[in-house]
Amino acid sequence: MRLINLFAAAALVLAAAHVYNIKFAATVEAEKVAKLRTEIARERDAIAALRAEAAQLENPARIQALAERHLPLKPLDPAQIITVEEIPFPPHDGATPASDDPAGIRIRIGPGNIATGSIVPLPRPR
Amino acid sequence: MHVAAPASPEMGMPTTTPHLPWRRRIAQVLLYGQDVDRARKTKARIGLAVVVFAIVYAVIAVRLVGLAASPESHIAHHAHTSDAVATARPDILDRNGEILATDVKVPSLFAEPRRIIDVDEAVELLTAVMPDLDTVELRQRLGSKRGFAWLKRQITAEQREQVHRLGIPGIGFLRENMRVYPSGREISHLIGHVNVDNQGIAGIEKWLDNRGLADLHRAGFAADREQKPVELAVDLRVQHALRDELAAAAKTFSAKAAAGVVLDVRTGEIIAMVSQPDYDPNNPREALDPKRINRLTTGVFEMGSTFKAITIAMALDAGKATLKSTFDARAPLRYGRFSIGDYHAQRRILTVPEVFTYSSNIGAAKMALAVGVKEHRAFLRKIGQLDRLRTELPESAAPLVPARWSEINTVTISFGHGLSVAPLQALMGFGALMNGGSLIPPTFLRRSEDEARAIAKRVLKPQTSLAMRYLMRLNTEEGSGSKADVKGYYVGGKTGTAEKVVDGRYSKSKLLTDFIAVLPADAPRYLVLVMLDEPQPTEQTHGFATAGWNAAPTTAKIIARIAPMLGLAPRFDLPQAERLILTSARKRR
Repeated sequence: MRLINLFAAAALVLAAAHVYNIKFAATVEAEKVAKLRTEIARERDAIAALRAEAAQLENPARIQALAERHLPLKPLDPAQIITVEEIPFPPHDGATPASDDPAGIRIRIGPGNIATGSIVPLPRPR
Repeated sequence: MHVAAPASPEMGMPTTTPHLPWRRRIAQVLLYGQDVDRARKTKARIGLAVVVFAIVYAVIAVRLVGLAASPESHIAHHAHTSDAVATARPDILDRNGEILATDVKVPSLFAEPRRIIDVDEAVELLTAVMPDLDTVELRQRLGSKRGFAWLKRQITAEQREQVHRLGIPGIGFLRENMRVYPSGREISHLIGHVNVDNQGIAGIEKWLDNRGLADLHRAGFAADREQKPVELAVDLRVQHALRDELAAAAKTFSAKAAAGVVLDVRTGEIIAMVSQPDYDPNNPREALDPKRINRLTTGVFEMGSTFKAITIAMALDAGKATLKSTFDARAPLRYGRFSIGDYHAQRRILTVPEVFTYSSNIGAAKMALAVGVKEHRAFLRKIGQLDRLRTELPESAAPLVPARWSEINTVTISFGHGLSVAPLQALMGFGALMNGGSLIPPTFLRRSEDEARAIAKRVLKPQTSLAMRYLMRLNTEEGSGSKADVKGYYVGGKTGTAEKVVDGRYSKSKLLTDFIAVLPADAPRYLVLVMLDEPQPTEQTHGFATAGWNAAPTTAKIIARIAPMLGLAPRFDLPQAERLILTSARKRR
């Protein structure tokens, strides 16, 4: 009987301590959550302020004024706009995937095999 | 009494059970029974206590498990005691997601006059930091015994730091939402503005309030920024290009005012709307100036010759004329003391396309008379020119319609004088002429083609619309709209020059010029309206101030700038207007 008494008393003390721990931990978590919420709100406000500032910097009137002052660009003429289909690509003659110029990019002019400072001559065929 | 008891050899006294009073004996019998052992009873009691405590612990254990498993619902919502209660508004974006209006948190300075210890010191320190505070008013406010008083709303962060460092008791800061318009000047009339309490009082901001935001604010919701942004149909780049060119044109031609609209004919969306002079919604004090009204929705004007397109469309649709019909324009029309003549008088018989390209008043009047007075009026009502046009903007103007409508009214209205409409309204009618015959009410919000088709009203036959597109392109190729042509975009257009009414008479020097352009004319997608109020002749215009000399070239510049933004690719292989209408007529058969 005395043993059960002892166990019961010990269990009582342990249970009380456990409950206290849990309550304390719950309060700490709640405070953390509240702090996170405040931080989220602050970050959102900062994001909004930065987006407003970015939009102010991207104001078309401001960009136009800066471009007119500092850049040599001119307004676009409709004749300057074409689509990819309208670009006259060079014709592909002698271009196969196996040759050393598969896309037909190399322009053959003159006697061929010209070497300059930037063009390396093709290896002479044996 | 003699009790027989065994005699003990040592003692002479007999051992007997104690004598209990008869009441206690009964109690003992009832409660304990006769044959229960006392020691066992104690054990039983202890056992009972153990069982009770075990039950209590079991209950506690079960409750602990339950609490750990269920979600925590008792976390206190920490109210932001440092923020004011006012009202967050949703962001307003343009059709590409650019920010047109947004909320920013700014500090506001308040005082609790009851807690202020030394009013003079407080006033001195505050006015040293913020010199624009009125000293007398400040002293009055701090000296009153109220609990709360605003001192200055929406101060900057530096000012807040400085006032904070002063360390005056009774002064504090609340963070408020302030509405910021990053590209304010571009979109002023369209977006409107708010008052210091973040309530919308003009433009789309007011429409937001009317839609339900005001009720939310009154009920106490919408205090933070968790709301979905509002997307408008306006394109900020097109809006800026339009505004820039209109400002340049107003300066070149010394016009009192300039206004323009870009409208999508298939959906009725307003891609850009500018009315100069305008104001900065970040500083809305200028908005009260009557010169800075939105001339497109709250002003009514006689649109002039652009109305001839509506007259011709009406005649073609009613079957009273075809593209091959002719009208006699040799002599001016006479109506009592009125005489109606042409500006570019040809003095011959004109076909319908020639009536349009030479902008003949006589021809238009005769076409309207051929349709009839009542049918003319009914047609104008059908395409929305006689009733007030209501859009999302809270401001609108009702057209000035003649009270008594007789033949002379029909004659003058046929070429655009005698009926004053809001320019946006006239553009809506034009849209019906260009998009195949459906009248779509214009809107500032995004709208898809299907939604537009659902609310559209059929007012013209498709063949009529086709004929009108051809006429518009012909006018740009050969007629008065030739200065509006932009190579590559197949622009069609109609000029309109109206004399303004001064002291009850039409004035020859004060003109209102406008130009309505459609692009591309073979499959219209956008309408552009440009309006100039009292443009003056310049050297380049050779002394002329009519629409073909000022509104038309301005429209050309605008179209060259905005067509790529609107997604139109230039096409240089287009046939002449004549060939195009034949091919499309053949295709449709």
